[in-house]
Formats: sequence, structure tokens, C-alpha cells
Amino acid sequence: MARHRRATALEEDKPELSISPLIDICFLLLIYFLVTTTIKQKERDNSMALPSAAPSETQPDIQPFFIKVSNDGHIYANVGAAEELLDTEAQGSERVLPVLDQRLEIYAAAAKAGNNKPLVQVYVEGEAEQQVVSDVLNHLAKHDISTVTFTDLVAQDEQLK
Amino acid sequence: MASNKLRASQQQQEDDTQVDMSPMIDMVFLLLIFFIVNATLIIVEMDKRVKVPIARYSEKQNDKMGRIVVNVYSDEFAGEGRFRMADGKEVFADDDDLVDFIKKEKENWDLKGQKSRLHLRADGKVHFTYVRRVIRAAAAAGVNEVIFVSLWSRSS
Repeated sequence: MARHRRATALEEDKPELSISPLIDICFLLLIYFLVTTTIKQKERDNSMALPSAAPSETQPDIQPFFIKVSNDGHIYANVGAAEELLDTEAQGSERVLPVLDQRLEIYAAAAKAGNNKPLVQVYVEGEAEQQVVSDVLNHLAKHDISTVTFTDLVAQDEQLK
Repeated sequence: MASNKLRASQQQQEDDTQVDMSPMIDMVFLLLIFFIVNATLIIVEMDKRVKVPIARYSEKQNDKMGRIVVNVYSDEFAGEGRFRMADGKEVFADDDDLVDFIKKEKENWDLKGQKSRLHLRADGKVHFTYVRRVIRAAAAAGVNEVIFVSLWSRSS
């Protein structure tokens, strides 16, 4: 009897690894990282093919839509005598250009009806902000227009500042 | 009698089924190490000094291959260099330097069988004249697809 009791006592003395502190620490770290993490917004793409870099040999069947962005951020359609002010600034947090949006919708629908790829030419004055250009490109993306030409009407001898 | 009762209760405790966690933890670590070793990590660096414009109809960045990153800084950070590489440290000395860089990157991507694209991170406040120069340099280097990087919204 005494020998049996000693054997059970020996078995009970075996060292055991307790995993509860490990789990405690894991949860503590998890909560710490959850609280301290700031979720960074992912950047997105607005991809455009620029035919000016790879000119096509054939003439396009469709008349391109011409957009001008002035230094003060105003958006115009066409050039010269036919120039027409469309929008003066983007509206709301979604930065909507309502008149340009409407015109592009009509143009894209017409191009689609004629089985043509819509073409857009954009002339941006040098001091226009990139955000305004991005607003125009955003509306092009909305109407699935991905072929854009930036017309180079500015001096070629700009120097790096 | 008391010792019999005690022994019976001990016996009952020892008979309780226990799940051994160690093989599971072993497997989890093994799988974790396997995926870490196998993963090809492609990161497009983002210098937070460039606050890219907002565009609601921009698309999620799916394919990160073939991107040639050029940062264009606003006047606030342009003192050290208006045009810089992805890390925001390497500055392009002049337009020719920019063309050479894009050409070299294009060759690297060509060797990997990937189509090169200009990943243009221009600050929303930067004047378009600087952006146009990067586009022109890309065109000179034979890259005709430009990705204008943007955010979906500023608030979130």
C-alpha cells in the first residue's frame, strides 16, 4: 500500500507546462495591437493609356473630345471660338464636375453607338493643380474612357526646380 | 473509508479527457513558416509626404508588377528635390536622369516579361507642369501607360 502511494505521489510531482499564461500574453498583445493600429487607406489606380507616347498610324474614326483645364481650375470644352466653360470647381467630397460628367456621358454613348473607342484630348495649363486634373481623369474613368492625350502646348525647355 | 472516497475522486479526475494542444501549435507554426518562406512580397512603397488626389472611380491596385514609381512633391517638400524615387530619398537630378531611370526599370521589367507602367504619385497640390514632365520622360523612355495614383476619399 505504502509503495503504491509513493508511486502516485511521484506521478503527481511531474512538471507540467501550463499554457494559460501564454494565452493571456497572446490576448494582451492582440488587444494592444488592435488598439494601437491605425488603418492606412490603400492607394488606388487611375490607369490611362497615352497614345502620344505610342502614336497610331491610322486616323481615328471619331472626333476626339477636347477638354481644357485652366490655371484657376476651370474646366472648358473645345478650343478657340467654340470654347465653352463647363465647370468652375469640383463639388462635394466626391469632387463631381456635373456639366463635364453630362457631356462625357453623351460623348461616350455616341462613341459606343458608332463602335468607336472614345478619345479625349486634355490640355492642362502649367499652374493647374494635379487634383483638378485628377478630377477630370476620374470622370473619364467613370465613363470607361482610358485613351487620353495630353496635348503639349507648353514650352519644352522647362527646367527641374 | 475517507481515504477510499479520496482515491475514487482522484481516479475520476485522471480519467477526464484532455486535448493535447502541442501538435496543433506545432502544425500552426510549421504552416506559418512555410507561407512566410514561400510568399513573394511585392510592395509599392508609399511616401506619406505625397498626398495624392482623390478619385472616386479609381480602381483597386491589383497587379503590382511592372510599376515604375516616381514621386512628385508639392512646394512644401520640393526643397530637397521635386522628383524622387519610390523611397522618397533618391532625387532625380534632371529630366535626362529621369528618362534614364525609367528606361533601366523598363528593361528590368521586360526581362521578367512584364509590361512597364509609370506609377505616378503626384501630390494633389502640385502644378501640372511638373507632372507633365514626368509623363514626357516616360514617353521618351517608351512607357506609354500611366497610372495616376489616387485615394478613394480623404477622411477614411
